[in-house]
Amino acid sequence: MYNVIQLLAKYGAHILFVVLEIICFSLIINYNKAQKDIFINSSNVLTAKIADQQNQILQFTRLKNQNDSLMIENANLIENLISIDYASDKIPNPDSILNQYSLIPAYIINNTTHLRNNYFTLNKGSREGIRKDMGVVSSHKGIVGIVRNVNDNFASVISLLHSQTRISCAIKNRLGHGTLVWKNMDPLRMNLESIPKHEKIAIGDTVITSGYSTMFPKGILVGKIEMYNAVPGSNSYNIVVRLFNDLSNIQYCYVIQNRFAAEQTQLEKEVENE
Amino acid sequence: MNNAIPTNIIRFIFLYLAQIMIFKQVTFSLGGIAYIHFIIYPLAILLMPVKTPRAVLLIAAFVMGLALDMAYDSVGIHAAALVFTAYIRNIIIAFLEPFDGYSVADVPTVRQLGFGWFMSYISIGLLIHIFVYFSIEAFSFVYFFEIFLNTIFSFIVSCIVIIVSQFIIRTKY
Repeated sequence: MYNVIQLLAKYGAHILFVVLEIICFSLIINYNKAQKDIFINSSNVLTAKIADQQNQILQFTRLKNQNDSLMIENANLIENLISIDYASDKIPNPDSILNQYSLIPAYIINNTTHLRNNYFTLNKGSREGIRKDMGVVSSHKGIVGIVRNVNDNFASVISLLHSQTRISCAIKNRLGHGTLVWKNMDPLRMNLESIPKHEKIAIGDTVITSGYSTMFPKGILVGKIEMYNAVPGSNSYNIVVRLFNDLSNIQYCYVIQNRFAAEQTQLEKEVENE
Repeated sequence: MNNAIPTNIIRFIFLYLAQIMIFKQVTFSLGGIAYIHFIIYPLAILLMPVKTPRAVLLIAAFVMGLALDMAYDSVGIHAAALVFTAYIRNIIIAFLEPFDGYSVADVPTVRQLGFGWFMSYISIGLLIHIFVYFSIEAFSFVYFFEIFLNTIFSFIVSCIVIIVSQFIIRTKY
């Protein structure tokens, strides 16, 4: 006790000074708007700096989740692009609220491009809504393949780079449509067949999907015409198409779900059976 | 020494009233940036007798500051600055100590310690007070330029007023 009194006698004035200043500053911060704002703001800046540093360290561990959410976002955007393409056709859509096409994002977990018949494997299957004969695109620029087989958790996709690939394609802003096939072993080039010789085409024209199948909507970009020639004795051009996307280094893709595919195929089968 | 207490109380009240009734109303602006404030109330603390205990100085400063804050609608700002001035007042006095030291009854006035001593004492004390006051008012050294200009101009006018007042009103204590 004596020590405390001695301490107070010796440093009482200093302690009093500190106490009074603390009272003053708490009064300033509590009752003056401008100073309060500055105080709150600077403490916010400090905490934000700390949070930012923490974020930079932890960000790396969240890349996977970020990628997933970006893929979902991309899927929505591509869906919108497709529906815009349809809207510009000026054909009134009977139920335009419902998009005809919806996209399911998926990772490619196995991929070959150097074989004669190439396949992909996706990390999603029938549980996520993937069915046989759905189209697969890598973005708005570039198709990847067609789903061949699905089980609960995985899907096997026939790559574009497959000897049996037949995709109905058209040339943007020109008439006529043809079939995209893979004849040589170049993973960047494909051939467009059965474009009739009387159609005018030019090098550099964009090849898009025609929308005649249930797999791909109209207007997905495929590639550019790199070279063409008229084969003597044939009715159509021989066209080499350079693909927009490099199938050897894609990591994720979107499976196109066509809500009216069953209706369309059923009707077409009825016609065939007659 | 007995007369020192009533003199100081009267001086406190007088300076307080002068500050809030006259000098609070007078504010010049210079080029729209610097504002000239007359800040004369630290005189009440600076003119207390040399040997006044520090605790008394601090409490007097706190009361005076809060009273000023009520008039200025700036809770705590004058009080914080004035308490700081009261705290460093003894350091300034010790720094300016003449060769033969202070006597117990000494009051830091022109009459007792000479004009030169008084000038440097008031200049240092007032400059520190005004700088601290504007710093606390701005509350952030982001506004350093404004604080600096305000301090310089307010210090010049306040110092002139205080020196002149010391020749008009001469107190013994």
